[in-house]
Amino acid sequence: MDSLDIVFTGFLISALRSATPLLLTLLGECLGQRTGVINLGAEGQMLVGAMAGYGATAAFGNPWVGLLAGAGAGVALSAVHALLVVGAQANQFASGLAVWMLGFGLSAYFGAALVGQQVTAFDSIDVGAAAQWPVIGSVIAGMTPTVLLALLLVPVIGLWFYRTRTGLRWRAVGESPAAARAAGVSPATVQIQAVLVGGLLSGLGGAALSVDYTRTWAEGMSAGRGLVAVGLVIVARWNPWWTLPAALLFGGAEALSLRLQTADTPISAQLLHILPYLVSLVVLTLTCLRRSDSGTPAGLKAVMDR
Amino acid sequence: MHVSLAGITKRYGAILANDDVDLDLVPGEVVALLGENGAGKSTLMKILFGFQQADAGEIRIDGRPVVIDSPRAAAALGIGMVFQQFSLVPALTVRENLALGHRCTPWWIGRGARSFAAPVAHLRDIAPEIEPDLPVSRLAVGEMQLVELAKVLNLDAGVVILDEPTSVLTPAESERLWEQVRRIAAGGAAVVLITHKLEDVFACAQRVAVMRRGRMVATLDTSSVTPDALVRLIVGAETVTTAQPVERTADALPRAWIKNLSATTAAGAIAGVDLRIAAGEILGIAGVSGNGQQTLADAVAGLAILLAGEVIVDGETLQAPRAEMPAQSAVAYLPEQPLRNAVAPDLSVAVNLMLKRIRDLPWRSHPSQFDADARERITAFDIRPTDPRATAASLSGGNLQKLVAARELAGAPALIVACYPTMGLDLGAAAAVYEALFAHARRGAAVLWISEDLDDLLRYAHRIAVLHRGRIAGIADTAQATRRQLGAWMVGHSIDVAAEPAHA
Repeated sequence: MDSLDIVFTGFLISALRSATPLLLTLLGECLGQRTGVINLGAEGQMLVGAMAGYGATAAFGNPWVGLLAGAGAGVALSAVHALLVVGAQANQFASGLAVWMLGFGLSAYFGAALVGQQVTAFDSIDVGAAAQWPVIGSVIAGMTPTVLLALLLVPVIGLWFYRTRTGLRWRAVGESPAAARAAGVSPATVQIQAVLVGGLLSGLGGAALSVDYTRTWAEGMSAGRGLVAVGLVIVARWNPWWTLPAALLFGGAEALSLRLQTADTPISAQLLHILPYLVSLVVLTLTCLRRSDSGTPAGLKAVMDR
Repeated sequence: MHVSLAGITKRYGAILANDDVDLDLVPGEVVALLGENGAGKSTLMKILFGFQQADAGEIRIDGRPVVIDSPRAAAALGIGMVFQQFSLVPALTVRENLALGHRCTPWWIGRGARSFAAPVAHLRDIAPEIEPDLPVSRLAVGEMQLVELAKVLNLDAGVVILDEPTSVLTPAESERLWEQVRRIAAGGAAVVLITHKLEDVFACAQRVAVMRRGRMVATLDTSSVTPDALVRLIVGAETVTTAQPVERTADALPRAWIKNLSATTAAGAIAGVDLRIAAGEILGIAGVSGNGQQTLADAVAGLAILLAGEVIVDGETLQAPRAEMPAQSAVAYLPEQPLRNAVAPDLSVAVNLMLKRIRDLPWRSHPSQFDADARERITAFDIRPTDPRATAASLSGGNLQKLVAARELAGAPALIVACYPTMGLDLGAAAAVYEALFAHARRGAAVLWISEDLDDLLRYAHRIAVLHRGRIAGIADTAQATRRQLGAWMVGHSIDVAAEPAHA
């Protein structure tokens, strides 16, 4: 294996690992928005997921328990958004901001005791013969369980969304709640389900961040990934399949910025830290310049108009 | 399935929408439910379909009283309804729309057409040419109506309700729909056709039920009634006030010239529209909704960015590409959907009446200054409620329409653009709006009048142009225009008047 190959696979692995928490959150946000609910609280859900996940891993010594706890915390917090937006017809942006701040506060308060604690890492996955495959073999071998989980969820959710009756119902609700209701589908039920699934996935994303990717807990550690997810849904054109390249964009930029920092580039580390956000912003802007047929669900446009 | 509604009563606030209404629906029979806007026919059918609950009265199916508390319950009982606003999801395909409400749709749909075979079976019967894999947004309005009908047939409905199905259709599409309606009834279903068009009644109904002001005034066999008698039943003892048509002034100079206009908005596109309107002339624009009418109106009124062309009024260029919007427009504009396009819903009626003169207001002005002025126009146009401080959003559709007319038709505009100005108004209020509009024509204003109501266009307009896919498909003097020709233009055929056989 030559050195270029090592650089490439190393970069791909770190891009994938960096993209994983975002990819999970992005999938959840995508589903929510497709049913007509924007959830700015994804950021707060990631934070409580990261905190609860880290805490549970530290307490039980098992990172899988941590992932479960993180997902559960995300669901619990997103229930607030579901209740306010679907139950009480509150403004989606106001409710999302409230959920975000609530998640930030709760995770900071309960997470204070976790700072500096050590957690057990995932055992490396035994991929058997796949590790010997040319080029991708080393990428596969370098994957952690959360990366694999996120990568598997993309086709699972993609197929479910476009190839099943329930997926069809969710799409109908996002495009036209009135038409869905006339067809015997309850838009409120579907939207509540979608927000909760979004909470589950963003909580899982948060836990993947603290338990697997950084293996630390710090206040506000999601660092805007939840909000980036809200924006990248547009880049992914509200299509679950496209969340993978959209998330890799962010992950790739972050991997690159880390590389540049270690390579002693004469650019300040603080500036390099903004690279993934800058790339996301530029791609988002470019996507929005192409106005025609952006794939926006009609029900979501109604939210913006209100 | 024999459905009978007995003693249905429904009250909205002070208005009695349905007052002790009885109606019997018999298998194999088409009943036309006739009445003016607001006569209570839609309310009655919404109660039968479970959208609303009656305050009193009962619904019996085959003699057994039933409770219908939701559209779902209605569907389970075999009652289906085709709405005026389609309940189709535009972004989904025809197949997906039909599968959405179908009980045979399996959980795993997959790619294959097999999962969709049952949902599209009825559609293949009534409209084999509709491609099931097209998104609904790409269908014509008439095709959407047929998909909607197939959806109702999928319920194996014993009662099929159609809410003003022909109001958005071309004459040819209407005929096709009538044929399907007769077929469904022949298949053993009871069909209710809500309509205000007499031609619908005589085309396919065996029985006609007429409603007026919430009451059922008559139920008759269609064969035993004349159109004149029906009109008298619909409007009741009230004298029908119709507006006086405007005399056409001979060879007047063109006052407004819409010169080779092209524009694109979210509502559609127009290309190369060229129209000249003489002083005192009423030019009607006919066409199936969505063929560029709104874009044309917006472009002429200066609300759309022009790609090419000009709007010239009294020799002065008012609108042109990259032109500044003139401060004081000589154009009065009555747009469609006034709540969305013509008023600030949360502001008062008085302020909304002032909006046109907003640039002339003093920097510091008090609402009471507008009130006196507003009261005058509220009385003149009979806007209800009469309180000038009521918010525009609290007005009914018809009263909003009157509010916009009161504002736009004040002063002396040189060109008036009116989109469906009488939509949602009863005959009396419609006549009042027409009178105000026509008074300006008599004064010498040029009027561009967009409407879907061919009867009114043929009665009042001097010339009628037909828009099809953003272009003028044809233009004719009203005296020489035939419904057949206008209908052909509406679907994009340009038949030559001279070549047309005398009677076809």
